Amino acid sequence: MTAYHELVGADRVHGSLYGDPGVFAEEMRQIFTRGWVFVGHESEVAEPGQWVTRRIGREPMILVRDRSGGLNVLANRCSHRGTALCWEHRGRDTSFQCTYHAWNFGLDGALRAVPYPAGFEKDHAELGLDRARQVESYRGFVFANLDGSAGPLSGHLGVGGTDMIDRLCDLSPSGSIALGPNWLGHAVGSNWKMWPESDNDGYHLNWVHASMVSSAPDTYYQETVLGGETGNQSLAVDWGDGHVELDFRPSYRRELAWLGASRDKVPGYCTALEQARGVQAAGRLLWDGPPHGLIFPNLFLGELNIAIIEPVAPDRMVHWHTAVQFEGVDESFNRRLLRQSEAAMGPAAFIVPDDAVTAERMQLAMSGVGVDDAEAEVRRGWVDMSRGLGREERRDDGRRAALISDETTNRGFWRQYRTVMAR
Amino acid sequence: MSGEVAPPLGEAEQREIEAFVFREARLADTSQYGEWEALVTDDMHYWVPAGPAVGDPAAGLSYINDNRARLATRIRQLQTGKRHAQTPASPMCRAVTNVEAHRAEGGAGSDGAGDEYVVTATQVVYELAVQSTARLQLWPGRVTYRLRRVDGVLRMAAKTVELVTASEPQPNLTFLL
Repeated sequence: MTAYHELVGADRVHGSLYGDPGVFAEEMRQIFTRGWVFVGHESEVAEPGQWVTRRIGREPMILVRDRSGGLNVLANRCSHRGTALCWEHRGRDTSFQCTYHAWNFGLDGALRAVPYPAGFEKDHAELGLDRARQVESYRGFVFANLDGSAGPLSGHLGVGGTDMIDRLCDLSPSGSIALGPNWLGHAVGSNWKMWPESDNDGYHLNWVHASMVSSAPDTYYQETVLGGETGNQSLAVDWGDGHVELDFRPSYRRELAWLGASRDKVPGYCTALEQARGVQAAGRLLWDGPPHGLIFPNLFLGELNIAIIEPVAPDRMVHWHTAVQFEGVDESFNRRLLRQSEAAMGPAAFIVPDDAVTAERMQLAMSGVGVDDAEAEVRRGWVDMSRGLGREERRDDGRRAALISDETTNRGFWRQYRTVMAR
Repeated sequence: MSGEVAPPLGEAEQREIEAFVFREARLADTSQYGEWEALVTDDMHYWVPAGPAVGDPAAGLSYINDNRARLATRIRQLQTGKRHAQTPASPMCRAVTNVEAHRAEGGAGSDGAGDEYVVTATQVVYELAVQSTARLQLWPGRVTYRLRRVDGVLRMAAKTVELVTASEPQPNLTFLL
């Protein structure tokens, strides 16, 4: 077992953790098999028989709604000889039938029928599909825990995960969001952990995104994260349990700044929100906007985008994303969210490709760093994450917070990483 | 026009269209952003869908779905010299083949004004991601152009690239496809 308590310090992380195959294999077990992982949204499988394929760690899974409305997260693997049952990204079926020997499974994963049954003596109940032992959803966000050992979801989400999901869903007049009509995948030649870091790093924007800032200058990032070390009131927040946030709320100087709009541009939405929440509460929501944070380990709430961080190999990952869609608003409003998502996220957008190339450059630079280098007498292969450690404050609500440019968010992710990897 | 077959293109017209397509390909290959942008009309639509190019682009999420203003931002960002994902520009070459051109419906003005063409082609871009991974990346796809004659010269009013790999995750796509 790798010595994670030595490789992850309070103010530094060893570079071997981004590329070592043994570390990657241990992560798939310790984080993705033993812990809660985001798998999808209920709106993706609204009707019985609707399914989507996902990975939990490296394991191919199917999220499917069964006839009684239940959510199942099943291994995408026939229990007979191991053939994949679904090979498209989504679909709708009344059952799953293997193409090899036509074994047939219910939407709940139970083995229903085997051709030529006389020669098959086992009890069907023994050969249902492997499944995530725990599946729970919170306000439409579906999480699964493969081995069933992770305790209740509420314990995993804690105050921070719950708060961030609540703040997003409360912005939708119905209280529920839906997802955009499709996911886009961004294939990156980096370790997956560059993304919990990068998505929630408040220090890099002036440099990594310099081209976006100068070619599209009227973005609200101007007032929330740019403008010097102490030039704004945004916070880098560690909620605990690996959930972290860049909290822009203190920096917004007008309503709907997060949407790049004003009330007269989106009157239908504002009216619908006031009718649903009351004028005063809606007014607060329109100021505060959606969260920008990570729910450990793989769900990024990117304001009006949802992203899944999918590990592929030590040096490969996919950043999947889609747009948030609100319920109870006019179509033109939701299309605005689609267009904003296209501008920000994905392989051809104005923002995230520059994060991707940066992550790939990190991967390149650390490819020669081995676990053994951590013990070398000459300092070698360490990554510094000390920024702002001395000015973090514990707030009354339990949050650990510092300036937006401080590495509080990154330390929060890695603190939880060390806890679960060393357990 | 309904029920009639559009008159076939003349030899010179066909050659002019092919010359436009090959020039557009060369300017994209060599990242000559300003010269490439000069080829497009004021209502240009640049579309790289995440699947087949069917239905209304506004209804879903695409890799690229640029109206003229957003395309201008894209070019401006590339021209800052700080677009890390494309600094330095990817070495590229593309083969454009199977070029078929048709006169667009309703665009057959006898004086040549308002002529519009729909052109389809097959394209394979070979791109080296020198900015980071140094991997050779292949971008095969079917291209549909909408070309319009403006003041006597051809301009591009739409370019749609249906990537063969569209349904699967894509690496950085920050050059001109």
